[in-house]
Amino acid sequence: MRTRSRSLWPYLLIAPTVAGGAFLLLYPLLKAAVISFQHFRMGELIRGGAAFAGLENYAELLSGAEFWQVLLRTLVWTVINVVLIVVLGTGVALMLPRLRRGLRLALMSALALAWATPIIAATTVFQWLFQSELGVVNWLLVTLGLDSFRGYTWFADGTATFAVLVVLVVWQSVPFAALTLYAGLTTIPVELFESARIDGGTGRQVFTKVTFPMLRQLFALVASLEVIWVAKCFPQIWVLSQGGPDDATTTLPVYAFKIARVLHRYDLGSAVAMLTVVILAVALISNLRRMVRT
Amino acid sequence: MRHRILALAAVFALGACGTAEEPKAAAPAELTVWIMDGSVTQDLLKKFETEYEAAHRGIDLDIQIQAWDGIGERVTAALASTDAPDVIEVGNTQVAQYSASGGVTDLSAKVAELKGEDWLPGLAQPGRIDGKQYGIPWYAANRVVVYNKDLFAEAGVKEPPKTRDEWLEITEKLNQGGNQGIYLTGQTWYALAGFIWDEGGDLAVQEGGGWKGALDTPQALAGMDFYRRLQALGKGPKDADEANPPQHEVFAQGKVAQIIAVPGIAARVLEVDPKLKDKLGFFPIPGKTADKPGAVFTGGSDLIIPAASQRQEEAYELVKALAGEQFQTELAKAMSFVPNRTSLAGVLSGDEGTAAMAKGAAHGRATPNTPNWAAVEATSVIKQYMTAVLTGGDPAAEAKKVSEAITTTLNSGS
Amino acid sequence: MKRLLLNAAAVVVFAVTIFPVYWMFLTAFKPTRDIQADTPTFWPTAPTLDHFITAVNAPGFWTYWRNSLLVTAAAVLIALVVALLAAFAVSRMRWRGRGAFVVAVFAAQMAPWEALLVPVFIIARDTDLLDSLAMLTGVYFMITLPFTIVTLRGFLAAIPLELEEAAQVDGCSRPAAFRRVVFPLLAPGLMATSLFGFITAWNEFAFVNVLIIKDQDKRTLPVWLSSFRDVFGTDWGATMAAASLFALPVLLLFLFLQRSVGTGMTAGAVKG
Repeated sequence: MRTRSRSLWPYLLIAPTVAGGAFLLLYPLLKAAVISFQHFRMGELIRGGAAFAGLENYAELLSGAEFWQVLLRTLVWTVINVVLIVVLGTGVALMLPRLRRGLRLALMSALALAWATPIIAATTVFQWLFQSELGVVNWLLVTLGLDSFRGYTWFADGTATFAVLVVLVVWQSVPFAALTLYAGLTTIPVELFESARIDGGTGRQVFTKVTFPMLRQLFALVASLEVIWVAKCFPQIWVLSQGGPDDATTTLPVYAFKIARVLHRYDLGSAVAMLTVVILAVALISNLRRMVRT
Repeated sequence: MRHRILALAAVFALGACGTAEEPKAAAPAELTVWIMDGSVTQDLLKKFETEYEAAHRGIDLDIQIQAWDGIGERVTAALASTDAPDVIEVGNTQVAQYSASGGVTDLSAKVAELKGEDWLPGLAQPGRIDGKQYGIPWYAANRVVVYNKDLFAEAGVKEPPKTRDEWLEITEKLNQGGNQGIYLTGQTWYALAGFIWDEGGDLAVQEGGGWKGALDTPQALAGMDFYRRLQALGKGPKDADEANPPQHEVFAQGKVAQIIAVPGIAARVLEVDPKLKDKLGFFPIPGKTADKPGAVFTGGSDLIIPAASQRQEEAYELVKALAGEQFQTELAKAMSFVPNRTSLAGVLSGDEGTAAMAKGAAHGRATPNTPNWAAVEATSVIKQYMTAVLTGGDPAAEAKKVSEAITTTLNSGS
Repeated sequence: MKRLLLNAAAVVVFAVTIFPVYWMFLTAFKPTRDIQADTPTFWPTAPTLDHFITAVNAPGFWTYWRNSLLVTAAAVLIALVVALLAAFAVSRMRWRGRGAFVVAVFAAQMAPWEALLVPVFIIARDTDLLDSLAMLTGVYFMITLPFTIVTLRGFLAAIPLELEEAAQVDGCSRPAAFRRVVFPLLAPGLMATSLFGFITAWNEFAFVNVLIIKDQDKRTLPVWLSSFRDVFGTDWGATMAAASLFALPVLLLFLFLQRSVGTGMTAGAVKG
C-alpha cells in the first residue's frame, strides 16, 4: 500500500535528524566509549592526557557483586513502576471520556499540574509530606487511627524509602501516560465504538476487541517509554535517599552517578553507562523488532 | 592540549617572578570571583567591591554568588575549562579533592606573605597536599548550642551545662510539656564527629598507605551512644538532617529549648520571628569534663585560584585582600565567623554567640585530610548509619558496615 | 450506581493528583512561621506574598527567565519540525535503511544522558562552545528529538492510511491530504510531544550547570530554582514560590494547546 519510491525524499526528510544525532549524540557516545577504556578521572578531565587502560574498568565492574545487585534492583524498580504507571494511566485515560465535562476538565488540569510541577519541587514536596515528625502523611495516618505511624521514619528503612520513591515516580509519570493514551483514544473513530456497542459488546469486550488493538502501538510506545524513563530515573532518588539506606534504592543511574560524579571515576562511570545501553537494548530488542516490522 | 601548557607556563612564570609588573591594559581587567550563597552579606560584598576597585585601578570585579546545588560539578567544570573564574571559594572538606586534581594554582610561595604561620589548622591543612599549599584559608565557623532563654528560665535551669552529664540532665528537664529539650535531627553528623573526638575516636584513620573507616571503634561507638541519648530528648526527626527542614525554622516556633548550630544561625531565627531577639543564648558544646569544652568540627572555606584562570597575578592580589586582616575583621563581625588566623580571634569577644564559638574553636578539628573525604560526605553513608542506629539498628553491626563503606570510598583511587 | 462509583474514583484520583501541587502552592503563600507548624494547616490563614517577592528578587531572575524561554522554545520547535519530517518519512514511505533508522531512533532514547555529561562538556570545551546558549539548545533539542520522532510516528501510525488515501482519491494532492486530514488528527499528538519536550528542556539542570560556567547571564531558571538553599538549609517558602512560578509557563502552554486542539479532541471524544 505504501509508496515505495526510489526518490531522495525520505533521505532528505531524515537528514536533519541524522546530522543532529551524529554531532550531539553519536560523537559524545563514542567519546564515552573511549573513556570507558581509559584511565580517566578528575585529574585527566582537568589536565588531559588519559592513558589507555584496556578492559580494566569493565573487569573491575563485572568482577564485583555490587554491579549485579544493582542491576537486579533496577529491574525490580522498573517493573514495579512501569506496571503501576501503565495500569493506572490506562484506567485514568479510559475514565476521562466518561466523565462529565466539568469533572473531566478538573481531572485533566490536575494531571497537567502534576506533570508540570518541576521534578525537584515535586521531590522536595514528597520528602516533606513523608517527614517523620512534621509530615502530612504521618499526620493523616495517625488521624485515621493508625497510631503506629506516629513519628514513623520512612527514610530509615530501605523498603519504606523504596515505596515512597515508587509513589513519587508513579505520581509524576501517570499524567503523561494517561494524557497520551487519552489523546490516542480521541483519534479512534467514534463509529467503531458505536458499532461494537450495537453488536452487544460489554465494556470489557470493547476494550479488548476495539480499544486495545487500535491503540496497541500506542500502548507499546507508552510502556517502552516508561521503561526507559523509570530505568533512567535519577534526580528523585538522589535527592530523597542518595541511594540509601543500605543501598536499597541504588539503581543503575544512581550507581553510575556515585561512581562518576562523586568519586570522579569517569572511566568506570562510562563503563557502567555502556553496559546500561547494551542491557537496555537487549531488553527492548523484541519490542524494537515489532516496531520495525510495522 | 595547548591551553593546558599555556596555563602551566603561566603558573611557572608566576612562581619564578611573582612580583613582575604587567603593563597596564587600557580596558579594565575583569576578575570573576565565585562566592558561596550565604557566605557574605550583599552589603559587605558591595562595600568590598567598591573599595577594591578604587584601590586597584583597572580591575573590574565580577562577584558571582553560587548556589549550593550542583556546586561540586560546577567547580570541577570550571577547573577543567579554558577560561575559569579567577578566584573560587570552596568548602574546607572539598578543597583537597580539587587541589589533588592538578587544576589549582600552587600558592606555596605566598604562604609567608599571607601570614600563614598562624592560619587555622582546620582550614590550612585541607588546602595543603604533598606539602604544597593550594587552598588559602578564608573563614571558619564551628557549632555551639543555641538556646531559648525563656524555656531555660521556665524549667528552672540557671546555668548552661559544663559537662556532658549536666547537659543530658538539664535537657531532660527542658523536655517537658509541649517543649522539646533539644531539637537534634538524626543526621547532624558534624555533632557526632565532635562527640567521637571527645571519646578519643575518629571518623577514619590513616593506616599504612591507606585510610580506614573508624566508626566501629569502641570510642566512636561511645560517641554515637551519647548522640543517641541526647537525640531522644526532643522530637528531631531521626531520618533527616538539620537542613531539612531548616532547624532554625523549627527553633523559631519557640517550643525548642536548644539546637546545635553555628552562631550565625541567630540571624535566621530572627528573620522568622523577630520577637526572639533577646531570648537567644549560646554556650560551647560541653565536653566530658568541666575543664574543657567538647571538640568541634571546624567548618569553613578556602580560596583557590584555578590554574585555568587567565589572570593569575590579579587573582592572587584579590585573594590577598580577601584573606587579609581588614576584610577578615569585617567578615568575622558581620557573619559571626572565626577569622582565618588565630591572632585575629580577638574580634570575636564582643558577642555572646561568637565568644561561645571561640571557646569551642580552640578544640576545633577537621575531617580526615584526604581528597576522597568529599565523596564520603556526598554519599551520606554516615547519615544513614546514624539513622539506622537511632531507629533501633545494632550499633556495632551498623558501625562495622559503615566503616567498611568509608574504607572503600577513601581508598578508591582518583 | 456505576456513575457514582466512576465519579468517586475520579474524585479520588483528582485529590491524590492535585494534593502535592496544592501543598506546593499553599506553602508558597504561608508565612515562614506557619510552614513548620506542629499540626498542618490546609488553608492559608494569613497568606503572604513574601516568598514570591524573595523569589522574584533573587539575582538573575529575569535574565534566567528569558534564557530559559529562548532555549526551551527553540529546542522544542526545532525538534518538532525535524521530528515531523522524520516521522513522516518513517511512517508513510518505504525506503532502504528505514528499519535501521527506526531502531537507531528508538535506541537513541536510551541514551544515558547523565553519563554523556562529561563527553559533551569536553566536546563543548574543545570547540569553544562553553558559555553558549546555542550549545545548550542543541543538547536539549537532541534530548527531546528521539522521543518526539517516536511519538509522532506512533500517532501517525494510529491514523488510518485509508483516510489519507480517501482524501487523495477525492482529488487532494498528497501534501494537501496530509494537511487537511492527517494534521488535525495529529494535533493531540503534537500537543503531547511538544509539552513533553518543553517540560524536559525547561527542567534540565545538569547540563546547564556545567556548560554555562563563567558567563552567569546565560544560566537558566532551574539554576534559580535551586538557589534558595544555603548552608542553613532550604528556604521552603521561597523554593515553593519559585517552583510555582517555574511551573507556570508549562501550565499556560497546556491551556493554550488544549484550546487550540480542543475542537479536534472533542470531535474525537468517545461518548460513554
